[in-house]
Amino acid sequence: MKRTVPLMIVMVGGILMIIQYFIPHQYSLIVFDNYLEWAPIVGAFALILGVGSLTRLHSHKIRRRAKNWQYSWAVLIPLFGMPFFALIMPESLGGGTDVHGVHDFLFMHVQVPIQATMFSLLAFYIASAAFRAFRAKSALATVLLLAAVVVMLGQVPIGAIFGRWLPETGLWILRYPNLAAKRAIMLGVGFGMLATNLKIIFGVERNWLGGAGK
Amino acid sequence: MGAVNIWEKMLNLDRRWIFLGIGIISIVFFLVGFGMPVTTTKEVENIFDFVNELGPDDAIFIGFDFAPGTQAENMPMAVAVLRHAFHNNIPVFMTAIVPLGQGMAVSALNYVTDPAIDGHYERVLFEDWADYREAGITNREDIIAAWERDGNVLPEGALGWVFEGRDYALLGYLPLFHLVILGMTNSIETQFPVDYHGNPIGEMPMLKEHKSLRDVDLAVTNAASGACTYWITYAREKIGLPIAFGVTGVMATDYYPYIQSGQIIGQMGGLRGAAEYEVLLQENGITATTDKAFRGMDVQSAEHIFIILLIVIGNIAYFAGGFHKKTRLKGRG
Repeated sequence: MKRTVPLMIVMVGGILMIIQYFIPHQYSLIVFDNYLEWAPIVGAFALILGVGSLTRLHSHKIRRRAKNWQYSWAVLIPLFGMPFFALIMPESLGGGTDVHGVHDFLFMHVQVPIQATMFSLLAFYIASAAFRAFRAKSALATVLLLAAVVVMLGQVPIGAIFGRWLPETGLWILRYPNLAAKRAIMLGVGFGMLATNLKIIFGVERNWLGGAGK
Repeated sequence: MGAVNIWEKMLNLDRRWIFLGIGIISIVFFLVGFGMPVTTTKEVENIFDFVNELGPDDAIFIGFDFAPGTQAENMPMAVAVLRHAFHNNIPVFMTAIVPLGQGMAVSALNYVTDPAIDGHYERVLFEDWADYREAGITNREDIIAAWERDGNVLPEGALGWVFEGRDYALLGYLPLFHLVILGMTNSIETQFPVDYHGNPIGEMPMLKEHKSLRDVDLAVTNAASGACTYWITYAREKIGLPIAFGVTGVMATDYYPYIQSGQIIGQMGGLRGAAEYEVLLQENGITATTDKAFRGMDVQSAEHIFIILLIVIGNIAYFAGGFHKKTRLKGRG
């Protein structure tokens, strides 16, 4: 029962949605509309589950004084603080999502700079990684190295100083060899996803059931 | 022996020197811009031309599908398209696939309508022109005429009025956005009964004229993740909605197949793509100057040259120090 019911729900739901997509009939649209209404509701339960398990995990860490337990406060305080400022705190005290509220202030002056800083660190690490990785160790590595240099120079205005051929060659690499390789990868991934999805729908692949699938 | 040591030292250069170099170059070239010319590519020109053909009877979606981490790349392209739409009086629906994208949409709108910036658009909130809606005035020209007749004057430096609900609607974020796109193919209002500020979107004139994605002419998704393909899978393939991408530099190579197949009309790739759009806006007299992306291209030029120099130095040290022979021996062994 524990295994059969979820498998049946997935199979019926999956087949129904495949058939629905290809039949633009009124009844088919009713099924589709119902699905659109129900799916976010089911998704909302996943949110409750997610917030619940995150809270449980970090509150346990704090209680047990586990390693780096102090950082758990950095998870829990914003997790509940931001919704509190946006939804519960009265507007007269700076609550709500308006420009002058606490929520907006924390978003614009804490979250935005933190995330921007984290991402900008990439520029430093990419430079260091490029220095160590781009070595002409073999014929293939040399092709990769040359392509990288041409695309890098072609993508910035200074590349045009060396002549129009450089940006044009960079674009050619992106538009043709890159496109061909990406398309091959995408097709492979696409067929893989299709096969996996069919296996899940027909109950062949059961790993998603976790322990219950065994 | 001594020479080999020098090459070895060069190969094992402490990465903190590289970090320092990148840091200094970023700061110096940010402060001292050279304004190197940016040429445009057909991937960006196609988007610009498509938007340029649209007018007040059309509508577009601009997706703020990125978090603050990538705003340096994604924000300028979103702002550029928003400016273009406002210039051509094209109604704009603003959405977000990711929760933090909603804040980015608010920031973009605040930036484009900031009175402190020359060339801004003067924003009129939904509640501020409620009387005109109640009087049945919903045509853009009529609203402006009535609004100015009531003593409102366009501030100096402003390029025009933008009325919330007539020229733009900030719809914001909803979870499971692929389902939201699917739902909007039937009705936008069922998915977003109210906008970000809680205004009922059913009362917005732009929604009355564009009830579903089938009445919309273009969706430009400015994204930092593969979620941008939702727009292709669920809007382009289902109802044929034209899609354009604005993606980060590292993602740009992934989506060339969609351009060739005609599934997207074009793509703005990274800061370069945004800079190209800014150049097109300026060349066509839509903005007086270029903006942040164009300025950023000087920094990017210098950093790319620095990285290429590092690669060249690394390879010189690798061959001059005889390390290529060692690698070969190691490989055979």
